[in-house]
Amino acid sequence: MPPDRWFLLAAVAVFLAAVRPALRSLKSGNWTVQRQWPLMLLGLALQSTALWLRGRELGQCPMKSLSDVLVFVAWSVVLLYALVGSGFRLSLLGIFTAPLVVLMLLLALLLPGAFPDYPPRGPINGWVELHAALALVAYAAFALACITGCMYLLQERLLKRHRIGSLFYQLPPIQGLARAIARQVFLGLGLLTLSLLISLLKLNTPISNPKLLFSWGVWALYLLIALTIWRHSLSPRQTALAAALGFVIPFISLWIVTSHG
Amino acid sequence: MAEQASPQPQLVCLGLNYRTTPVEVRERVAFAQTKLAEASQQVGGLQGFAEGLVLSTCNRVEIYATHHLPGAEAQQQLIDHLCDHFDLQSEQREALVTYPLHGSEAARHLFRVVSGLDSMVLGETEIFGQVKDAYQAALQGGSTGRTLNKLFQQAFSVGKKVRNETQIQRGSTSVGSVAVDLAEKVHDLSRCRIMLVGAGDMSRTCAQSLLSRGAHSIIVSNRSHERAVEMATEMGGRALRFEEWESVLHEVDVIISSTSAPHFVIKADLMQEVMRRRRWQPMLVIDIAVPRDVEPAVNAIEGVYLYDIDALQQIADEGRRQREQQLRLCEAIIEQQLQKFGFVA
Repeated sequence: MPPDRWFLLAAVAVFLAAVRPALRSLKSGNWTVQRQWPLMLLGLALQSTALWLRGRELGQCPMKSLSDVLVFVAWSVVLLYALVGSGFRLSLLGIFTAPLVVLMLLLALLLPGAFPDYPPRGPINGWVELHAALALVAYAAFALACITGCMYLLQERLLKRHRIGSLFYQLPPIQGLARAIARQVFLGLGLLTLSLLISLLKLNTPISNPKLLFSWGVWALYLLIALTIWRHSLSPRQTALAAALGFVIPFISLWIVTSHG
Repeated sequence: MAEQASPQPQLVCLGLNYRTTPVEVRERVAFAQTKLAEASQQVGGLQGFAEGLVLSTCNRVEIYATHHLPGAEAQQQLIDHLCDHFDLQSEQREALVTYPLHGSEAARHLFRVVSGLDSMVLGETEIFGQVKDAYQAALQGGSTGRTLNKLFQQAFSVGKKVRNETQIQRGSTSVGSVAVDLAEKVHDLSRCRIMLVGAGDMSRTCAQSLLSRGAHSIIVSNRSHERAVEMATEMGGRALRFEEWESVLHEVDVIISSTSAPHFVIKADLMQEVMRRRRWQPMLVIDIAVPRDVEPAVNAIEGVYLYDIDALQQIADEGRRQREQQLRLCEAIIEQQLQKFGFVA
């Protein structure tokens, strides 16, 4: 097995290790972010090493096959968590982030024909690399919005049903979660817009390109969510639901986009 | 055989608290916070005593000291000092019920006090700071020495351990604190605007709890406008005539209702309209009134979280029950630490 795969397996083990004690201490009501933070950072370091090794092996950014894309998005999710989690006082996000990352990495590792060799490529086009990287980081922001949406729905349910237990005390206030969803959606939308503009203006890819069509579809969906947030057309709960369920579309689109080469 | 004076300094604690002594006597023997250093010095300066520290809160007065006297004599000296210091008359002296604790018992008691296990509200955290202040005052006054310094440092470490390793402070134990916890999980309290509909004592308690935790502002509306003005002035808010409260409902984030109306005052239709006007931003509605002021269907409205007095009481009861369950765990930690520090074998 190539070394990058070992690093990915190690990252999966570390993220799993981050979830288990966190869930146990969360249940007992004794959870503190300090217990999970070092493991999340170690996982990020292992992911980064795996990405670097894979990139070196291919001689380009590993973002063409579905396995590589999943690894890149999972890496971006943890990176954004590290940046956003503390900024929004959403330390608990880690408990919800780690399982999603484990799922993505396992999927990447277990896919049939995972991590194929890419055909040799010509000179590196910086705009192509930037376009792909921005799109994937945007997807990571949508993934975080999805996780935050789930946290909102959970806390909202606990409040409505008067279930005031240890989880209730650990979860952030719903208004803070609503603000975090909005920021993550706006961030993701901004990055995806930039990525698509690069493809349109610098790479001269027509909108009708089937690969891009799905990305435009995802962009339209999140533009709609962003507009409802901005205009308060939906209630915060409905927005959280849209952010949580909306991520299914970019997640599926990754399959479609990567299958088009 | 009579007790012999001890060559090694012996630890003693003489105290009275809300369990042993009624408030009328406690307030008579309470030391002013500004005089704690001086009071501690006086204890340390008693004949046969080496160190002294006075802790005085609304729920307890305790003297910690080291001495070279027989235990009973040291205890009597402290009682006499307390009576003389506050100039207690003979009937007041008789009403003064104190608990004398020696050696490891005194250390165990201090560890329990610092951990909030001896407090009226089990697990409360304020006492930790109060003991720390009393220690600082005694330290600055020069009335503590090797034994008390070591004991209090150990007590602070035990208090932190108990809080970090158990859930003794988790959960709310009173209606007021439940209201604060709920509001904190819906809103950022610093931006939270509160409205009191009806000016009852319990709603005042809830509102004061919210304000003390940093709530942004308060509006009071009551059938008797004078009463509303009085309460608003007291809490630094503004009063609103009772006919007008509905018109500003959409601007507030927490409603605390406690009118004496025999019918629902806040109905689902009204709240539906209010929520539409505030674009479904979440709102916490606390109904303390009996009979209830808020129509139960209000809880089904998107973004509204309704808690009546039974729901609040149930949460507070559960919080108390959970804390009591943690008590055994806390006591075990304290015993373990007493062993570690050599107070018990």
